[in-house]
Amino acid sequence: MLKRDEWLQLARKLDWEYSYVSEKDVFPEEISGRPWLPHSEWQDWEESFKTSYREYVQNQHDKDAAVYAVRDAVGRLENIQKLATPWVNGLKLHGAALPLAEFTGLIGNLRGARFGRDSAWRSMSTFGALDEYRHTEIPLLLLHELVRWDPQFDWVHKFYHTNNWFAVAARHFFDELTIGQNSIEYHIATNVVLETGFTNLQFVGLASLAHGAADHSFEKMITSIQTDEARHAQIGHPVLATVMKHDPEYAQYLVDKWFWRNWHLFSIVTGFTTDYMAAVEGRQTSFKEFMEEWIIDQFLRTLSEFGLKKPWYWDILLEELEIYHHMVYAAAYTYRSTLWFNFIIPSPADRKWLRQKYPKYWDDIEAVWERIEEQWRAAGPGPQNESAVHGRALPAFCDLCQLPLSAGTPRKNTANTLALNGQKYILCSEPCRWIFLREPERYANHREVTKRVLAGEAPAKLPDLVSQYFQLTPETWGKDMQGGKYAWLQATAQGIGD
Amino acid sequence: MANTLGFKPLRKESVTKMSLPLYGFLEGDTVGLLIVADQNESISSLARKLQEAGNIRVKPKSEVQLVYQGKVIDPALTVSGAGFTALERFDLRQK
Repeated sequence: MLKRDEWLQLARKLDWEYSYVSEKDVFPEEISGRPWLPHSEWQDWEESFKTSYREYVQNQHDKDAAVYAVRDAVGRLENIQKLATPWVNGLKLHGAALPLAEFTGLIGNLRGARFGRDSAWRSMSTFGALDEYRHTEIPLLLLHELVRWDPQFDWVHKFYHTNNWFAVAARHFFDELTIGQNSIEYHIATNVVLETGFTNLQFVGLASLAHGAADHSFEKMITSIQTDEARHAQIGHPVLATVMKHDPEYAQYLVDKWFWRNWHLFSIVTGFTTDYMAAVEGRQTSFKEFMEEWIIDQFLRTLSEFGLKKPWYWDILLEELEIYHHMVYAAAYTYRSTLWFNFIIPSPADRKWLRQKYPKYWDDIEAVWERIEEQWRAAGPGPQNESAVHGRALPAFCDLCQLPLSAGTPRKNTANTLALNGQKYILCSEPCRWIFLREPERYANHREVTKRVLAGEAPAKLPDLVSQYFQLTPETWGKDMQGGKYAWLQATAQGIGD
Repeated sequence: MANTLGFKPLRKESVTKMSLPLYGFLEGDTVGLLIVADQNESISSLARKLQEAGNIRVKPKSEVQLVYQGKVIDPALTVSGAGFTALERFDLRQK
């Protein structure tokens, strides 16, 4: 019987020459991606970590067993009920935004398993697809069952099947990244940008916060998922190297575009949880510091390794790192009923910590929280007063990232309008505008939520928008976690009265 | 479902030929807002409308100026008189 090393190389490389169809017919550019190159240019495609199906199944079985053992020991409902309320709401955000997005990653990998340009690439994509199926099933299993306790966990399954504004944004992102994408762009955008960058943020950075929150089940789950990500992320590197060799300008564009798109989405998914929903006493590292450690440094190293340049928007990114997710969080707090998880006002201790971590613009954000506090004091605490401390006008959204127009600073919002082919658009930032203008045929016909309202596609009345279009109910729409009843808020009010 | 959210409805019937949807940016705010202006309303009325819309996050100011396409607009002008077109940006800044 052949030993592993004697057959694996042959099994990985099973390409052949086609006799009755052309290579271009087997791998059409529309779905395999561009630049279209003959297989001779891809035949040296090589993954750095090689595995066989037998090894893969054994490893995954062991990893699953470890996750389920931790879940059985410390991940039961009674364990989750003991966790801090803000952290539990962070789980709702993660649980809705990521597991079904991972399922779209399965589709992207299956496309690579068929239309990847080398058999080793296709084999690795097959494993990647199996990984993504696992990354869908485990969090769905662990988090959706919490619906028995808290109906907002229903959104773990429901989120992507709604037109909730954040679901529209996340779907716009993942539909382009994974479902409607050719194999070359998919593997560069997903493996190189998302998985060697931003999933580190979510799965490694957040794992350390989960440890601090004593949520060992979630910690074990995302750590286990990250081990798969680290393996299949390598698919993208040899793809990028080949595209760099033949079309470096296009390679640069793909990396720059997807880094920016990832940045905005994960500012919310990870930024909210890291800086607002993890207990301040357990927080060592801010979202910005996680970004600097896990993304910025690593991304720049990756760029350098491939001979790529720093994106033209780097200074804009560094500015946004100081404030973007704080802008969105403060806005989202005042529109909390449009989301499926609950919000907390940062306490004086939180704000002291945030000011230390984000000194550049914190004064401007602080002023917004003081205004919100004033209104809770005027209305008085209690769930019946939620509506008195809630936004009433419709927020506007970016025509590229589909997120609220919250880029820039409170003094200078960077949204900019665009007239193109008789239509008007608004983009929240210069990089979003740049991406939109590079591929207008891809983006121009997609309506963000406010344009759907203006077109009559979505209800114009906000309560109807929330209940009918966003599919939230009084049980599931977001609220203030404390109903405005914060000991420190009342104490401050007494101080003012005195 | 009862309207327990307390939202001010954006009435469909209010979006008429005379209405102009605009993007309003209030200095100090963290998000841009959709503001439906009436072509015949004054710039000072439009400024008040944006202040009310952002009131939850930004305390209204008494001395403000409205900026459209880089110019401070006379508060006595009407929206149409100032040349506003649909889906354009305007800003409200403290004087």
